[in-house]
Amino acid sequence: MATWERPSQRLPQQQPQAAEPATEGNPSLPTGRELAEANRFAYAALCGISLSQLFPEPEHSSFCTEFVMGLVKWLELSETVLPTMTAFASGLGGEGADVFVQILLKDPILKNDPLVITQDLLTFSLKDGRYDARARVLICHVTSLLQVSLEQLDILEETFLESLKETKEEESETAEASQKKKENLRKWKRYLLIGLATVGGGTVIGVTGGLAAPLVAMGAATIIGSAGAAALGSVAGIAVMTSLFGAAGAGLTGYKMKKRVGAIEEFTFLPLTEGRQLHITITITGWLASGKYRTFIAPWAALARSREQYCLAWEAKYLMELGNALETILSGLATMVAQEALKYTVLSGIVAALTLPASLLAVANVIDNPWGVCLHRSAEVGKHLAHILLSRQQGRRPVTLIGFSLGARVIYFCLQEMAQEKDCQGIIEDVVLLGAPVEGEAKHWEAFRKVVSGRIINGYCRGDWLLRFVYRTSSVQLRVAGLQPVQLDDRRVENVDLSSVVSGHLDYAKKMDVILKAVGIRTKPGWDEKGLLLAPGSLPQEEPRQGASPSSSLGETSHQDEQAQGLTPEDTPKVATSTNPSQAEVPAGLDQPEGASPPATINPIESPHVCSHIVGPNPLGCPDCASQTQGPCPGLD
Amino acid sequence: MDEDVLTTLKILIIGESGVGKSSLLLRFTDDTFDPELAATIGVDFKVKTISVDGNKAKLAIWDTAGQERFRTLTPSYYRGAQGVILVYDVTRRDTFLKLDNWLNELETYCTRNDIVNMLVGNKIDKENREVDRNEGLKFARKHSMLFIEASAKTCDGVQCAFEELVEKIIQTPGLWESENQTKGVKLSHREEGHDGGACGGYCSVV
Repeated sequence: MATWERPSQRLPQQQPQAAEPATEGNPSLPTGRELAEANRFAYAALCGISLSQLFPEPEHSSFCTEFVMGLVKWLELSETVLPTMTAFASGLGGEGADVFVQILLKDPILKNDPLVITQDLLTFSLKDGRYDARARVLICHVTSLLQVSLEQLDILEETFLESLKETKEEESETAEASQKKKENLRKWKRYLLIGLATVGGGTVIGVTGGLAAPLVAMGAATIIGSAGAAALGSVAGIAVMTSLFGAAGAGLTGYKMKKRVGAIEEFTFLPLTEGRQLHITITITGWLASGKYRTFIAPWAALARSREQYCLAWEAKYLMELGNALETILSGLATMVAQEALKYTVLSGIVAALTLPASLLAVANVIDNPWGVCLHRSAEVGKHLAHILLSRQQGRRPVTLIGFSLGARVIYFCLQEMAQEKDCQGIIEDVVLLGAPVEGEAKHWEAFRKVVSGRIINGYCRGDWLLRFVYRTSSVQLRVAGLQPVQLDDRRVENVDLSSVVSGHLDYAKKMDVILKAVGIRTKPGWDEKGLLLAPGSLPQEEPRQGASPSSSLGETSHQDEQAQGLTPEDTPKVATSTNPSQAEVPAGLDQPEGASPPATINPIESPHVCSHIVGPNPLGCPDCASQTQGPCPGLD
Repeated sequence: MDEDVLTTLKILIIGESGVGKSSLLLRFTDDTFDPELAATIGVDFKVKTISVDGNKAKLAIWDTAGQERFRTLTPSYYRGAQGVILVYDVTRRDTFLKLDNWLNELETYCTRNDIVNMLVGNKIDKENREVDRNEGLKFARKHSMLFIEASAKTCDGVQCAFEELVEKIIQTPGLWESENQTKGVKLSHREEGHDGGACGGYCSVV
């Protein structure tokens, strides 16, 4: 930690425009300004060209121009280059980007440490206390152009945060700050009723003014040089901190619906991790299943997108109902639909799926009501989320949204709502929609280009039979994003075919770790160990569950027992009645109860009667197939 | 207004430091002259629409820095250029002798070989001329370039230089039409891709 104490000792030097004087006395840590003029020019030009390539949309042009103009000043380049830089930023002269990269890589300073550019860009982007999502996307882009791994950017961001914290602590002695603290405390008392979970996570953030420190990567100092913190922290002060993390310091966990919005009954942010980060991730769960996945945060145990992650808890009551219905229908269907018919559905297009087996329609009433309710509510929740993000409750930093099933639908409507507002740019970094029950027609996604700065990932599964089924009545749309790629021609859009990973809709919750890896979102490496390390106590009552979640990869039987016990008594009759006609068709040989699940009626439901482990992806999304792909299938043994 | 524009041409101005590249550009675009013009940093960029033979062409002119320290940046601008103006100073023989180096660079970095080059001998208003007009003409002929002598200060030949260059580019259809054509081809390709059909008429014609 000695590294972080240095900033205070450094002598302030020149820094023309920032309120806080810069400290750059250490020659071992060159900043962008110390590069040769030609290379500073190349650096600014590269940023300009990259911006024009990343954000060609007219909505972003003012940001691009301002960014480049600011950068020219920041780098102390002559003002005569401004027209050129503006030209670069507006898409002219894009031919030379790679040449600029090569020039920069040949620079004597950058040759040894290309991270200097990343660091300089980061400092520049944060100097006003804002971290625009577009700036982060640019930094990522330039960083990868300079052949620096993005992990080093993460470390830089953490270092920056750490040094910000130092600054903040020094200044927190002032009366103003302590006053603020007290106010925050008072405010927090009011939030006590929000629920233990929220306050547990929230008070920590609230009392410390939003400065619960993330673990500092010990390697940071070696990578950016011992004086890294000095250069990074120098520009920042309390103002930067407040702006970045939101004025209240409370951030998202403190958010409480002051009044009922529309039809929304529940809407809170649960912290998934304890750390603080310059960018945050919000996950949105699509339904609440029984057993292990009955909480909102359960599917996200492996997620390691950033050190500060939240999970949106919304409409638990209805999502629970939906989850039960989904499981019911699946287990019922598994027993009655022939494999041949399913294979047919997998291979053929959506048209084929429209001709549903008549027996299936019999169970439709189980699902259609909760599905319809949740479909409607997810849209409302999405709109509400949009306004929270627009009002910057999360502070001025990039947000990544990840959601599956109806959670993806929440995101879809959130983006749609944001697109209608004026200041919607630069808030959202990436979005990941998995198995989204939303319109898949490209023209509906067009507007997202101005909202999303980074990637729009659509994870779909061609054989997601359940999604196809439940979505059939809700709307007549034939293109569903969760079933096929979105044909939007834009660098942002990435369609990921998850058919090989996901064998059915319910897998989205159960195999989230694999899915996240497949779509390129960072997960905790060997997360069974670190999952405990990074997310302990984020939710007091969830602690045992957090601890238990890593066991999914270890023991499948225990999970099934849990699942069976998790079903509430009220569900049992519903399950029984709906599946009774179908159970008659179950091949006798396969009807083996497994495990020691107490309610006998549920047993056949939970067991994998018609597992298609051998045949390939199971379009039914047999709930047990999913979890058992790694291990042996007890049902078949 | 953009609808009238036939095409956008990328023009590059190169040459030794201090020969008056930026002054030529400034005279052409803004019709001003500044004897104390500071050295260009990196590259300067200006846009001007001119009309040649009734055709309007938008010129995107990249004025490179001649100074050695910015020389490394120059290669990035050659790509996609349709016309190059190579400038020397008639009062400094060394700038004329270095033309060969510039031509070498041009050959190395240019992506197309039908690019139109123009040699401009600048500062003819000055009295201490070191390079004769005929020498310049001879050099230009040898390397099949257009040639003109000009003075940014007195405005002599500046307009003419750009006009002639544009005229020549427009007369070389492959040079500027090719871009539009490739766009058309791309489009049809994309449509085919969307339809999911095998390549239809386009392929069979080929």
